[in-house]
Amino acid sequence: MLKHDVVIVGAGLAGLRAAVELRKKGIDVVIVSKVYPTRSHSGAAQGGVNAAFDENDSWESHFFDTVKGSDYLGDQDAIEILTSEAPGNILELQSMGVVFNRNDKGGIAQRPFGGQSFPRSCYYADAVGHMMLHGLFDNVLKYKTKILYEYFVTSLLTDNGKVSGVVAYDIKNGKFEGIAAKAVLFATGGYGQVYSSNTNALINTGDGMAISINAGVPLMDMEFVQFHPTTLKSTGILVTEGARGEGAYLLNSLGVRFMSKYAPKAMELAPRDVVARAEQTEINEGRGVDGAILLDIRHLGKERIMERLPQIMQLSIDFEGVNPIHEPIPIRPGAHYSMGGIKTDYNGRTAIEGYYSAGESACVSVHGANRLGGNSLLDTVVFGRRAGIDIAEYLKSAAEDRKFDESAIKRDEEKFEQLKKSAGKERHGLLKSELQEEMRANVGVFREENAMKKALDKIGELKERAKNIGIDDKSKTFNTDIVEAFEFSNILLIAEVITRGAILRKESRGAHYRTDFPERDDSNWLKHTLATLDGKGNIKFDFSEVAITKFKPQPRTY
Amino acid sequence: MEFKVRAYRFNPETDEKPYYKEYTVEDYPGMTVLNALIKIKSELDGTLSFRRSCRSAICGSCAMKINGITKLACKTQVSLEIDKFGIINVEPLANMPVIRDLIVDQEVFFDKIKAIKPYLLGQREDAAHNIFKTLKEGEKISQPVYDKSEFKNLTGNEDTPNCILCECCYSECGGVVGNKDYLGPAALAKLYRYVEDPRDIDKNGSRLVNGSMPNGFWDCVHCQSCEQFCPKGISPVKSIVKLHEKSIKNSITFSSGSKHVVSIARSIGETGRLDEIKVAFESGGVTGLLNDLPVAFGAGLKGKIPPLRLKLIKDMEDIRLAYKELDLEDKL
Ligand SMILES: Cc1cc2nc3c(=O)[nH]c(=O)nc-3n(C[C@H](O)[C@H](O)[C@H](O)COP(=O)(O)OP(=O)(O)OC[C@H]3O[C@@H](n4cnc5c(N)ncnc54)[C@H](O)[C@@H]3O)c2cc1C
Ligand code: SF4
Ligand code: SF4
Ligand code: FES
Repeated sequence: MLKHDVVIVGAGLAGLRAAVELRKKGIDVVIVSKVYPTRSHSGAAQGGVNAAFDENDSWESHFFDTVKGSDYLGDQDAIEILTSEAPGNILELQSMGVVFNRNDKGGIAQRPFGGQSFPRSCYYADAVGHMMLHGLFDNVLKYKTKILYEYFVTSLLTDNGKVSGVVAYDIKNGKFEGIAAKAVLFATGGYGQVYSSNTNALINTGDGMAISINAGVPLMDMEFVQFHPTTLKSTGILVTEGARGEGAYLLNSLGVRFMSKYAPKAMELAPRDVVARAEQTEINEGRGVDGAILLDIRHLGKERIMERLPQIMQLSIDFEGVNPIHEPIPIRPGAHYSMGGIKTDYNGRTAIEGYYSAGESACVSVHGANRLGGNSLLDTVVFGRRAGIDIAEYLKSAAEDRKFDESAIKRDEEKFEQLKKSAGKERHGLLKSELQEEMRANVGVFREENAMKKALDKIGELKERAKNIGIDDKSKTFNTDIVEAFEFSNILLIAEVITRGAILRKESRGAHYRTDFPERDDSNWLKHTLATLDGKGNIKFDFSEVAITKFKPQPRTY
Repeated sequence: MEFKVRAYRFNPETDEKPYYKEYTVEDYPGMTVLNALIKIKSELDGTLSFRRSCRSAICGSCAMKINGITKLACKTQVSLEIDKFGIINVEPLANMPVIRDLIVDQEVFFDKIKAIKPYLLGQREDAAHNIFKTLKEGEKISQPVYDKSEFKNLTGNEDTPNCILCECCYSECGGVVGNKDYLGPAALAKLYRYVEDPRDIDKNGSRLVNGSMPNGFWDCVHCQSCEQFCPKGISPVKSIVKLHEKSIKNSITFSSGSKHVVSIARSIGETGRLDEIKVAFESGGVTGLLNDLPVAFGAGLKGKIPPLRLKLIKDMEDIRLAYKELDLEDKL
């Protein structure tokens, strides 16, 4: 048994940012992560992070763009915090060692991003997430923070209505460990692996969300899944929106910039939901190129491509066999970001005292029905920081009035041992592929009741078959087979929450588009959905109000 | 098309020594070595163990030896390897102990990264107004101004901040082979990244002083492997040479490595020739000289005896001129 004041699960940007805030105050923190911190998926973020710096820009404009981008489902009190704290947060990161490209005036260079009315995305070439992640990790080292890496968290424990700690599996040694704490922060990232053709790391399996709903914490707005318009056709690897920010064109098989039909003003820089649907429509109507759309950056010229989009050039060559200096890149929409997540307030607090979440695993909600590019990295640092501050405050008064239930360690250990003993014939890796393909086909960019019900049937079938999963690996040393089996059970649960939520919401809003209900319906659906489990493990839904402070909902055109 | 993967296998719980296991995999266009390993794991053998995360060459998880060459599995196309070798041989990285199969223990590697103090040591004064603030209505924030050129060694595509800590360089480093305590290329590239950071106020030059200690940047053997194997196009050895230059420019020349360089420069500047005895003495002192004795003795047996007195070479004037051009006169 270990004991710390704070356990932070997740070492991406949100977790590290919170850790720095706490360690600066000398608070006893342990970071737990299933991979070494710098392997976290935050490092893959390419394009930029938004903050209004320019004298002709304003945070209020960023505020409005974000509300509109969210299709009015974002909570405006939280979005106001996100945008008014954005410039301060970015400068703070810079003073911590993060490098951003410079503009001619010596300030931070900024590029246009979709749905933003001003070029306000700060960048480091096309590897801003990498820069921020390593910069923050360096600071975590500076403040001598204890890190348990390659530890896989399996349960969240509560007692007396308060958080009491977590159970984690030490992957290297095959041992379960209990970690008692007065505050726990989940910064466990998204669930991109629910879908085939996604931009996410293989580790993005929605663990934190699944563990939370199992522990009685509601998940909010899970039906809102962002599909990124430009992911490489064969692998789903991301081509940053920064490419369009730098001036890339989207072309159909006729060589036409088809966005003129869907968003005549914003064109390629319309928000992601709009562009993804436009592309899918072009493909469905037979104007695709082998099931893809073309992203053309040739006119930017070699020099600019090398300077601003070097990673994109390399990824296209390595993973698609296309050199974008000479040829357009075949792309298509791919699952990218989880707008929904663990319901929190704007200090990261959840329904359970002492239990917090921040980053992509949380739903504050600042992204509502559709996240704008460059707002997610911002979300991780703004709310990671705020959660850190709030936890520090909480610790001042938090009493030792809860017990860590040590039998939970045994319980999780039993689960693993049982699974290892199973003689089942099903392979979790194959079940995962079936699930991912089903979700892509039937709960994807375009949704419709009957198709989604089919997906639910499939999920039911997979749940049954999952009882027969067998594990090849019986070892205690670095057993990734068993970890993946558990990740699969998390993906399966999240897929069901998404699908049931999507069937429930009978309207089209942001990234959730129903062909059978193509309009936004503010009178019935301007509200958040909250998913929890009942006593029998069935998913049930509740609703909560959207905070609307400054901007009344208007039709959303670009 | 079918192809074969031959994988290094070792599980300390059950195996006395490592062995290789062959798998047959069906190819598809664009398949990477990582895809092939994942296919094996999910369809054929769940016990095959390896690390992976991003599958897009940015997280640094999946480095391994592929047909003998250290690479990222997610960035390596199966078809190219098969064209060249007819098979995919996969083995764990070198210079680190194997935990299991393709997974190595990286603790020491990360400890070395920590050892160089990878964070700003102080802040330049004009950055001081970077205090966090929540903006009120109509309020703007002013930002510190840095000239583009100040970050010129940190914002290029192949500059050191792009390092993903994948350990490809470390696995191939000749310096680590000879001295397991040598900090190695990635840590030293990181050191250089902070030395070059215009915001870092390292008042007493502690970075260069610490880096000059034994196991630091003077222990690089210049084998160039790090540059050759880095999947991100970074050249740690170039950073190391820059660290050497900076140390000598700042007269941080207490280490035998730097003395060695200075002594060679002096010897050539004075006579146009390498005075091997003097260089050995000036670099390592009497102990250094004694340490070199066996080598010298061996060389002597083969008739390779350095002259005790060196004659000036004919073109000494040219060397003086070159030194002048290079601003090295004061180092003589
Ligand atoms: C390819 C790509 C490009 C992107 N580009 C941009 C961009 O340009 N701008 C932008 O604003 N946003 C971008 N995003 C989104 C943004 O990067 C992410 O939303 C954000 O980085 C998430 O950070 P995080 O800290 O919440 O989670 P992550 O960085 O995903 O970290 C999750 C952490 O949780 C840990 N973890 C998870 N489960 C467990 C468990 N069971 N036990 C222990 N540890 C666990 C993991 O080890 C990891 O450390 C991009 C996303 C992708 C996929
Ligand atoms: S050049 Fe130096 S740092 Fe690079 S691999 Fe060789 S010994 Fe190691
Ligand atoms: S320098 Fe290159 S090879 Fe070495 S760890 Fe960094 S990215 Fe990997
Ligand atoms: S899986 Fe991330 S670098 Fe290969």
